[in-house]
Amino acid sequence: MLKQKILIAVTALTLGAAATTAAAESVTFGVQAPITGQYANEGQGIEKAVRLLARQLNEKGGLLGKDVKVVACDDEGKATQAALCGRDLSNQDVFAVIGSYTSGATAASQPIFARANILQTSDGTAEQLTQHGYKLFFRNAPPNSAEAAFTGEYLVKAKQYKRIAIIADHSSFAKGLGEAVTASVKKEGGNIVYNGFITAGSQDYRSVLTTIKSKNPDVIYFSGYYSDGGLIRSQEKALGIDADFVGGDANQNVKFGELAGKAAMGSVIINVPAPENLPYPEAKSFLNDYNAAYGENPPSIFTLTNADGMRAIVKAVQETNSFDPSDVATYLHSLRDFPGFTGPLGFDDKGERLGSAFQAFEIQGDGSYKTVYPAN
Amino acid sequence: METFLQQLVNGLTVGSIYALIALGYTMVYGILKLINFAHGDLAVLGAFIGLTVMTGMAGSGAAPANWIVIVAFVLAVLVVAIAGVLLEFTAYRPLRHAHRLSAVVSALGASMFIENGIMLIWSPQTLTFPEGIMPDTTFHYGSVVISATQISIVAISFVLMLALYLYVNKTRFGTAIRASAIDQDAARLMGINVNKVIVSVFILGPALGAIGGLFIGVYYRQAVFDMGWIYGLNAFIAAIIGGIGNIPGAMIGGLLLGLFSSLAGGYISSTWQQAIVFGLLILILLVRPTGILGERVAEKV
Repeated sequence: MLKQKILIAVTALTLGAAATTAAAESVTFGVQAPITGQYANEGQGIEKAVRLLARQLNEKGGLLGKDVKVVACDDEGKATQAALCGRDLSNQDVFAVIGSYTSGATAASQPIFARANILQTSDGTAEQLTQHGYKLFFRNAPPNSAEAAFTGEYLVKAKQYKRIAIIADHSSFAKGLGEAVTASVKKEGGNIVYNGFITAGSQDYRSVLTTIKSKNPDVIYFSGYYSDGGLIRSQEKALGIDADFVGGDANQNVKFGELAGKAAMGSVIINVPAPENLPYPEAKSFLNDYNAAYGENPPSIFTLTNADGMRAIVKAVQETNSFDPSDVATYLHSLRDFPGFTGPLGFDDKGERLGSAFQAFEIQGDGSYKTVYPAN
Repeated sequence: METFLQQLVNGLTVGSIYALIALGYTMVYGILKLINFAHGDLAVLGAFIGLTVMTGMAGSGAAPANWIVIVAFVLAVLVVAIAGVLLEFTAYRPLRHAHRLSAVVSALGASMFIENGIMLIWSPQTLTFPEGIMPDTTFHYGSVVISATQISIVAISFVLMLALYLYVNKTRFGTAIRASAIDQDAARLMGINVNKVIVSVFILGPALGAIGGLFIGVYYRQAVFDMGWIYGLNAFIAAIIGGIGNIPGAMIGGLLLGLFSSLAGGYISSTWQQAIVFGLLILILLVRPTGILGERVAEKV
């Protein structure tokens, strides 16, 4: 009996050793994503994109001659599950992890991967993800501050507005974005004629807008959500205010157009573009491949930012000719203008994404979006 | 100056809506000494009935816009008036002789019931009214813009308030309403059917509320299931400012509240708008505890 157990143990050890030998001929990328649950379609998109990229690499002879493998772990978008994924993927000896989708789940697994010396790239936009000093972490989506910088540039440099009115609401998101946009407009040397708040959901913004009208602005910027943004736009037109409307990313929702009605036409929304609107040839060809492989489009832009994170890591491995995470990280920290699916891509020394993927879209008469800045 | 006039126009429009809804609070309080917390939700029910009618009729394209608006208002008034009577029979009448606190709790329960019912029937999403049903004509006086919708809201509100005032003060049944408000037992001894008076109040109040609610819908072109809370609260404040239980008081309170919150939002701070409005409420109650036109409570004890 005892002998049998020993035999099994020895066999297992031998097999284990064999597996390790085989692993030397391959490199494993982990996916940590909400594959089930509330954000399931986002999580599945990330897994599909990573598997597609791995297949494309293998068709070209792998990564530095090694076969690229993918293991996925479902964190359900929950922090508790994310910690388990952290251990699971670490135990499977992954080289790099793509994900997760939510900032909360990413924050939960970050320290585990950092200790295990594993590279990680995520789209989470919460500012604090890059503020812990994890040298192997790279954010692949632009944070809220990048949106503000782009907005400032659009309002002051691109459109040359002379009199800018800025409205926010009291939510932490809209207030933060509004303040960041104000700072960015001032930095660009823009002239802010009004800076105020509305109470989200109060429906009547006429008193604020009437005051704004007396300041005679040429643009009104609103950092809050579509349900208020649509009404602000409609009441702006009803009051006969002759100013352009520019809204932050939370205004991009079909309801904005419904609420604003005819007034929606001509309003501009600043956001990262939807996958099918990306102008870059790399993105178009990847979308075709994705569509051919899965018979659908990626669920959102974040599928592609995560794909960009993986591609940047792959690029770094190829350039440094090394699988040493710290070599790869050093290269990534100095990466600039890598042609990503979601625009030129680079990382600063905190692992923050550089290179804006933001665009300004104008709402057309038929409700569709047309990119107005940057011009293609 | 033109900015000020524009703020007045804005405030007057919202104020008339508050006044219409406030009338429901004040009438019920006048007779039953009960704050009908479900009243704001009844008004919202009116908005949703109107929304359904307008969306349905505009979608079929069979009827001209004017007719759609009239049918929507008539149906909203009918349905909400029936809902008001049902509310009276189920939530308040059984508690007529119970402690006043029980009736207040029942009112809060009814409010949640209606609000959640609206959410279940329609949806938790913000719904939009179809475009092009209300005329989008605007009139410009200098830089002051007044829309036909605003004019209709203010004009119809004033006509309704005047009609209600005349009904309560000049007709036989109105006299019965006033008598019941002063002393139910004495009114009963004089041969007044007080129960009938109470039912009539639960028809009139919700009917006016439904019009107010539908005004909100067509003015902002949107309706959310939980907006009854904030409009109910504002209308309640309007009723108190004017003197709760007093019909002209509710009208004055509503208009004052609308004007004041519009001016506060425009000239002082939109951040502090609500706080300033509550400050006004406290101030008025300090100077006149019974509201601007409120009855002297001492007389009744």
